[in-house]
Parts: sequence; structure tokens; C-alpha cells
Amino acid sequence: MSKMQHLQKGTKVKRSPGERIIQVIIYLVLIAICLLIVLPCLNVLALAFNDGKDAARGGVYFWPRTFTLENFQEVFKNKGIIRGYGITIARTLIGTFLSLLLLSLAAFALKEKELPGRTFINFMITFTMLFGGGTVPTYIQYRKLGLLNNFWVYVIPGLFSVTYLMMMRTFFEGIPDSLEESAKLDGCGYFGIYAKIMMPLSKPVIAVVGLYTAVGHWNDWFSGAFYMMDTKKWPVQTVLQQMLNKAMSQQQITSVAQAIASAGGVTSNALKMAAVVVTTVPILCVYPFIQKYFAQGTMIGAVKG
Amino acid sequence: MKSMVKVQKASIGKRLIKFWPLYVMLLPCIIYYILIKYVPMAGLLLAFKDYSYKKGIFGSPWVGWRYFETFFTSYDCTRLIKNTLVVGLIKCILEFPFAIILALMLNEVRNMKFKKVTQTITYLPHFLSTVIIITMLQRILAPGDGVLNQIIAQMGGSGDTFFLMESKYFYQILFSMDLWRNIGWDSIIYLAAIAGVDSSLYEAAEMDGCGKLKRMWHITLPGIRGTIGLLFIMGIGGLLSSGFEQIYLLRTPGNMDLADTLDVYVVRIGLLGGQFGYATAIGLIQGIVGLIMVVTANKICKKITEVSLW
Repeated sequence: MSKMQHLQKGTKVKRSPGERIIQVIIYLVLIAICLLIVLPCLNVLALAFNDGKDAARGGVYFWPRTFTLENFQEVFKNKGIIRGYGITIARTLIGTFLSLLLLSLAAFALKEKELPGRTFINFMITFTMLFGGGTVPTYIQYRKLGLLNNFWVYVIPGLFSVTYLMMMRTFFEGIPDSLEESAKLDGCGYFGIYAKIMMPLSKPVIAVVGLYTAVGHWNDWFSGAFYMMDTKKWPVQTVLQQMLNKAMSQQQITSVAQAIASAGGVTSNALKMAAVVVTTVPILCVYPFIQKYFAQGTMIGAVKG
Repeated sequence: MKSMVKVQKASIGKRLIKFWPLYVMLLPCIIYYILIKYVPMAGLLLAFKDYSYKKGIFGSPWVGWRYFETFFTSYDCTRLIKNTLVVGLIKCILEFPFAIILALMLNEVRNMKFKKVTQTITYLPHFLSTVIIITMLQRILAPGDGVLNQIIAQMGGSGDTFFLMESKYFYQILFSMDLWRNIGWDSIIYLAAIAGVDSSLYEAAEMDGCGKLKRMWHITLPGIRGTIGLLFIMGIGGLLSSGFEQIYLLRTPGNMDLADTLDVYVVRIGLLGGQFGYATAIGLIQGIVGLIMVVTANKICKKITEVSLW
């Protein structure tokens, strides 16, 4: 240890001017990357908190010029968006809970090395990562299962994921067998071991998988757009996607013309920016909690996947 | 140890009885994979059938290779394949080195606070939904009052370029948007791999007077070539089916000629247009080519880096 410290100190003294220039360049490039990521977000925030008509005149960059909360009031008055939030929150809670329950049960079973058929089941599950039925056969199958136009289309197709299953299994395999053995001696069955030993010890992996699943539910717009004809059951991302869709297909109507056409200070652009902010905030709230697990999560997912 | 050997020798019947609770736990998983993944795989038969809603997939009449012939002789074919390959190459090959470079740079940062902040910021876009990112993009790139155009106008440009409506900007937008979103997230795994490189190698190199760049080139990169190889294989598998969400959402009347990839086309003519058989046939081609590419890439990678997915 002392040798290493000595070496590190040594490098500091020895560092040549060339090395120092490289170090400075690295810091500058990293700062530039961070700015490139943060500034667009700041622009969106500024527009969301700025009067819509005022913003259409231009000149609002990274800080609101005419501060207002009107855009947010308008978002919360919009029935489609509010209903969308309800659906999104419901599917996130139900979907994440069911996913965690079923994934952990399956991972617990697949951890058992002597389980007859384990290799076969593992192969069949992993194979779905490489090859699948594709869009149309999947759609037809959902229709046959009665999932179209049904709230459960948001939950059931996403229940399992090969990556998350592997993450959980790998984590369970790391829990010492001796705990399980002693529980067995005490007369504990498999369900008892699962509930009393595995679950309490697996909080880290449950947290990571749970939060990834929740973010996936929160961000999904596809199933709403293609499997749900009833617009009243759309999650908020699909509502936003339809707003975006409209904006993208309007050919030459500039936002200035739109701003003049709309009544009051709230333009559709300002409304959209406020909706973007409201939709993203919950993710920003959970983000700090999951961050410490990122490295281990991706490692397991990629290497074992 | 002895008991383990004994259990392994137990007959399958005995083990089935012993493990029955585990099968109960697995049941939802098995049902899910059969119903949601494998039945649609059998549904690929649709590629050879004239689908009718009443008769179902298996009752519908056979049409043989008709859809494949139609596709390969159609005017759309070369355009779609070209678009798909270009998008795939941009996303899987062109973007590939950037995350490695970011990881190498982050690894050189000695100020832990700076490193933490940089990581927090660069990982963040991964958690934003595609819809949100493109809504932001659409505002920032808007003609007239979008930030980019305002900056161009202040620098003396015209300031009313409709970036999203012009196909000549399509690939640039796609590339920068995707990089913006993924560079940080993709670098995590390389950072973890770099942390696993034997530190005595660096010390030895330093003793020999190796500079920073030389150490990166001769120690770090070879040290993580296994990880690079693995991620490369996985990227290759997605070459023909990458970026559906982004491209579908980026489509405007102005860039339709480029924003039509196989994925988007399948959804357009299949889900929205109702040509189920034809769309399935195209999806099947995509799937099989993707599978072949992963297997091949895996084999090549095994030879070069001795690392493989299986």
C-alpha cells in the first residue's frame, strides 16, 4: 500500500508538461459534454416557465424572461393529460409490483442447479433475446388474448425481461447456501425460504430492477399508441406523442403563427414544454436513489445476458 | 459435498417431486414466455399465408413465397434496406467508440467530485423517454424561435432553417440525438471494465516511462477488449432493427424518404395498414438476418478476443 502511495506521489512530481496539457483537454471536453446535455434542458425549463406569446418573440434562452406559472395551470386543466397521468401512475405501480414478484419467484426457482429442465428453460428464455415473432404476429396474439383496448396490455407484455431475470438470478446465487440449508433444517419449505430469507437479503437487486421497470413503464408510449384505440385510456407519454405527432406533420405553420392564433398567453408550445417538465420531474426524483446501483446493474446485465 | 452427489444421482422423478414448489414459482414465467414470445414466433407462419381474421393464422390459405418476391422486386426494397443499414451503421458503428472515449477520459479524472457530477449529468438523458427528447428537440430546432435558429440568426445566418423538415439534416439530427442520450449510459460498463484492469500493469508502464496516451493505448484498451467485443456483438445484432422509436417519432413530411426503415415500414403497413402477411414476411427477414449476424459476430469475436456471448 505504501509503495503505491509512493508511486502515485512520484507521478505527480514527474508529470511532464505534455501530460498536463492532456489532463486540461480532458477536463475541458468533459465540461463541454456536460454543457451540451444541460443547456437544452435549461432551455426547456425556461420556456415552460415563460409566457408563451412572449417566448414566441424569441430571445428566451436559458432563463425565463416573463415568468409565469400559467403554462402549468393549463397542463393541469387539460383533461387528456391528467387522465394520462392517472393511467401512467396506475400501470407503473401495478406493473412494477407484479414484475418484481414474478421475476423474483422465477429467478429463485432457476437458481436451483439440480432443477430438472433448468438448462432447457434457461435456453428458451435467453433465445427470445435473439429472435422473436415480430410486430404483426405479436399484435395478433395480443388480440387473441383480449389484450387490445385493455388496460392489462400495459402490464402483461412487460412482466418478464431476460436481462432482469439474469440480474436477479445472479444476485440470488451470491447469497450463501448455508442460510438456505439451515432454514431447511428448521422445516422451512421453498416458499418460506423465498419469503423469509431471499427477499429480505435481496433489497439491492429488487431496488434496481424495480426502478428500471418503473422507468420503463413511465416512459412507454408505444403500447398506448398501437394497442389502445380508446384515447381515454392512453398513458401520458402517448398523449404527448400525439401532440408531437400533430406538430411534426404540420408543414410550414411556424410557431409564431400558432402563437398569434391561440388565445391568452399560453401557446401550444409553452403548454408542451410545461407538460415535458411535469412528466420528467418524477424520474428526476427517483434518479439519485438508483444512481449508485448503475455500475453493478449494467455489468450483470451485459455479461450474463 | 457428499450429499450433493447423492442428490444428483436421485432419479428425475424424485427430483421432480422434491422441487415441485419451484415449478409452481416458475409457472407464470413459463406461461408468459409461451404465450407472449413463442406463440408469436409460431405466428411467423403468417409470412407464407394470406391472413384472414375469420380463419386465423393456421386456417388461412398458403401463398408460398409470394410476399418475399413482392418485397424484393418492389421499388421500396432497395430504399428501405439502404435506409435501415445507414441508420444501423450510424447507431451501432459510428457511435460505438464515443462511449469508450468518454470512459477513458472519466478514468483520468482525479477530482472525485467533478467525476461524480459529470457522471450524474451524462447518465441522465438515458432516463428520458424518446417522446420527451423529441418534443424537446422539435422546440430547440424550430424555425424562427428555436434556440438553434436564434443563435444562427445572431451569428448572421438566416435563422429560419426548418431542420426537421429537411432530409439533408436527418442523419445529423439522429446521430447527435442518439449520442446525446446514450453516451453516458454506455460508458458505465466500460468504466467498470477499466476498473478491473490490473493496476500493477500501469505501475510497470510508468516505471518504463510510458506517457498517459501510451498507457491508454497499450494497457487500458487491450485490458477491456473483452467488454468491447461483447458489446460489439450485441450491437451487430441490432443493425437491422435499431431505433424504431426515434425514427418513427422523427418522421416528418420533409424527411420521409430517409426516415423509412424496415421497422417503421413494418409498423406502417402492418399495424396501421393491415397488410399482416406482407409485414410479417419483412419482419421475418429482419429477424433471421439479425440472428445470423449475431451468431457470425460471436464466432468472429471468439476468435479475435476469446470472449463470446455463449
